[in-house]
Amino acid sequence: MVTKSTFGPLKQEEFNDELFMTDHPIRILLAKIGLDGHDRGVKVLARSFRDAGFDVIYTGLWQTAQSTMLAAMQEDIDVVGVSLLSAAHMTVMPEVLRHRKELGIENVPVVLGGIVPEDEHRLLHEMGCAAVFNPGSSIDSIVEKFKALAAQRRRLSFDEAIAGYKSKNDAALGQLITYIQRDQLDNGWTPPDGSAKVFGITGAPGVGKSSLIGKLGKAMCEKGFKVAVVAVDPSSPVHGGALLGDRLRMMWGEPGDNFFIRSLSSGKQYGGLGPQCAEVIRALNGYGFDYILVETVGAGQSDVAIRDVVDKTVLVLMPESGDSVQFSKAGIMEIADMFIINKCDLPGADATEGQLKSAIDANRQICRVSTVRNEGIDVAAEHLLSQ
Amino acid sequence: MATKPISEPQSASSNKAYYGPEDVNGTDYAREIADPGTFPFTRGIHPEMYRKRTWTMRQFAGFGSAEHTNERFKYLLGQGQTGLSTAFDLPTLMGRDSDDPLSLGEVGKCGVAVSSLDDMRRLFDGIALDQVSTSMTINAPAAILLAFYIAVAEEQGVGPDKLRGTLQNDILKEFHAQNEYVFPPRPSVKLVTDTIEHGTNEMPLWNTVSISGYHIREAGANAAQELAFTLADGMSYVEHALERGLDVDEFAKRLSFFFDVHNDFFEEIAKIRAARRIWARVMRDKYGAKLERNWWMRCHAQTAGVTLTEQQPTNNIVRVAYQALAGVLAGVQSLHTNSMDETLALPTEKAVKVALRTQQIIACETNVTQVADPLGGSWFIEQKTNEMEAEANAIFREIDDLGGVIGAIEQGYFRRCIADSAIKQSVAFDSGEAEVVGVNKYVEDDYERIDVLKIGEDVEKKQVARLTQMKRDRDAKRHKESLDALTKAAADDANVMPFLIDAAKANATVGEMMEVMANVFGRYDGGPEW
Ligand SMILES: Nc1nc2c(ncn2[C@@H]2O[C@H](COP(=O)(O)OP(=O)(O)OP(=O)(O)O)[C@@H](O)[C@H]2O)c(=O)[nH]1
Ligand SMILES: [Mg+2]
Repeated sequence: MVTKSTFGPLKQEEFNDELFMTDHPIRILLAKIGLDGHDRGVKVLARSFRDAGFDVIYTGLWQTAQSTMLAAMQEDIDVVGVSLLSAAHMTVMPEVLRHRKELGIENVPVVLGGIVPEDEHRLLHEMGCAAVFNPGSSIDSIVEKFKALAAQRRRLSFDEAIAGYKSKNDAALGQLITYIQRDQLDNGWTPPDGSAKVFGITGAPGVGKSSLIGKLGKAMCEKGFKVAVVAVDPSSPVHGGALLGDRLRMMWGEPGDNFFIRSLSSGKQYGGLGPQCAEVIRALNGYGFDYILVETVGAGQSDVAIRDVVDKTVLVLMPESGDSVQFSKAGIMEIADMFIINKCDLPGADATEGQLKSAIDANRQICRVSTVRNEGIDVAAEHLLSQ
Repeated sequence: MATKPISEPQSASSNKAYYGPEDVNGTDYAREIADPGTFPFTRGIHPEMYRKRTWTMRQFAGFGSAEHTNERFKYLLGQGQTGLSTAFDLPTLMGRDSDDPLSLGEVGKCGVAVSSLDDMRRLFDGIALDQVSTSMTINAPAAILLAFYIAVAEEQGVGPDKLRGTLQNDILKEFHAQNEYVFPPRPSVKLVTDTIEHGTNEMPLWNTVSISGYHIREAGANAAQELAFTLADGMSYVEHALERGLDVDEFAKRLSFFFDVHNDFFEEIAKIRAARRIWARVMRDKYGAKLERNWWMRCHAQTAGVTLTEQQPTNNIVRVAYQALAGVLAGVQSLHTNSMDETLALPTEKAVKVALRTQQIIACETNVTQVADPLGGSWFIEQKTNEMEAEANAIFREIDDLGGVIGAIEQGYFRRCIADSAIKQSVAFDSGEAEVVGVNKYVEDDYERIDVLKIGEDVEKKQVARLTQMKRDRDAKRHKESLDALTKAAADDANVMPFLIDAAKANATVGEMMEVMANVFGRYDGGPEW
């Protein structure tokens, strides 16, 4: 465990070996900023990093410098990789580094990949980029560099993280969650009680849970609430790494800074929730959020673990998947407090609603939404808030 | 983050020391190959090919402001180039105006910024639009840029029936590879169908869609995937146009294709030969086209940008020359040769000239133009052509099983296939199995650098200022009415083309028209990612 509180990068002999165990994967964020859509390289890298045992958050296309660094803070990222294949790096990178400073997370190294002419490498280093990779760099060299940078990253000590948490510092909250998730709370600290309402959002893989949470969360924030999300994605059983894909869909709702999203990998634990999920939720609760939305790994019949950690459970379904009703029949169907049929822009919503109605008792709410068309979101948010 | 130069043979399933008659045993000359100009056109769409007319040399140009690009156009016309090809900047490609916050730092960088009719007018200033053929590389907002072009021509007194050129307008490959989509797949294809319908009725000389494999390949697909995905996209457009009630013999002749010419010399030639054979058969036998010219797979080709290296950049001239030769031996209708500095930045004038000269040397000095399909009948080439066709057919079946092209997009099929191939190539390069001269073979620490073109920041400032002024000066009432009419047309599922032309004339901007349509169609988040 890292408890040093000296400033500056750790020396070689202080490298934190534990970070390299698959139980505690290095957390990296890969981002494409601006309009450039060339994602061949970044996707090859994302998969390579996962296979090398990293937890990888890829935030998708069309991000801004601000959304990227905000994500790095909330997710307690060890290294940020920015891919810019248009000619905009000299405009975008200063913005990225400015936001890093404003958010107080200068301990997070930022690496740039792109088509960067020779003479600009030096400028970028001086500006504060930890490394610049041009086309043609080998994957291995990039992975090694990320490992070295992660090992040198100066994290908050546990006590510093608690102190920051108490003074409502989001960066400290981000780091504290990592300690909690790694079960490194060694001095018996427990978070204060909070008054958040906790919703579990569950449903078959791909029904649109994350997209929906992005929109619902945004709608709730617009009403003035502070909203946190815990999104759990599966770890690869082979490599121990994970591609944490939920945030990508949620960012689509362009969340602002009273919307705190944290992605977790399920690690070796199965059943829809990651390790220490309940403790992470408690910490968020004690921090002062009004609502906490928990997305679980595409739920199967046996995944009713969620019920123990949330106040209410929402089951998400989609049209044309008689399956999704079938799929959910046992277990989850009984425990759900509310149902949302997403993707109602697709044909078959009536049929799905009919099937659903015949499968449940009448007094549970059913909402129809389409996140792509932005339809029904406000109504669904109302119902959720009145649960 | 980093893309890799690629050189290994990409999808070869057979790999023998030599080929003989037994490798093409079942291949019937008349049925499978046939003379050039004869169904199924494996050997080319014309009997005389380049003896009668060489291919069109079409160099992509566009950078900075409309004036800069206009100058480059005039320069290229003066150098003997025979068609104009326009590259738009990223904001325009994404349907955003130069003053949109997301456009920051991108205006005029990788192409020309066109936000309004005013920009389009300056882009073609002094160029008579009935005298040139213009190709516009634009997709999500293609219908809008076409509307601008039609409006500018009208101001010059040139009717739409006189306009010659090509709109890339291939939204499907954006979902597979290039990521310049805005609306979800279904309404996106509806827009393409609107332009096909409009073109068929009003612009008989205009190529409405350039169905593109280039970007699919550059994103990492292998040759067989490029071939199959591109043709599948083509079939999807045909099916949507048929559903709209259009007559295949009316619109099919205006669909053209755009392929990559990569490093694997013979495989690339086989790929294009196979494309012609497959397309001829589906057009005649599946879609019932009766006119022979509607069976032709006409194509533009471009040398492979991903194969160029930053190291020892003059080597790129040689790569481009071999690739260009492969394109010519495959019988393409037009060709773009990349400039040696394209991996670094926009090409300089000198580099563009060398690239153009490369084509001219092939055309004037090598005599390869004197015979059609010189490689036809080579056991290797014919076997390879058969192999490409068989691989493509297997991929078509997979796509069908997923409910066609749109179904496969929605399930992430194309992206997954392309990412898998890209990873394989990356591994082969890293292990040294794939050799790239100057990068992991014959490496020099100190190599000659070349000059690259940099676009000044003032382009963006000026462009934004001009746009702001234009918005202030335009007739606000007419502007609003035109956008309201567009909203209604989109909501009523009408053909939006006439409404876009009207809005263009009312000085509505690209970003405004896209926004209006997005409010009806929705915005797409890219679908399944892995
Ligand atoms: N047509 C349509 N597609 C949608 C809608 N909402 C989400 N999608 C698509 O559904 C796919 C899955 O969305 P996600 O939000 O990632 O779904 P998820 O349930 O969180 O998926 P997992 O976390 O992988 O189980 C994406 O490709 C979205 O684009 C909608 O309202 N309509
Ligand atoms: Mg999800």
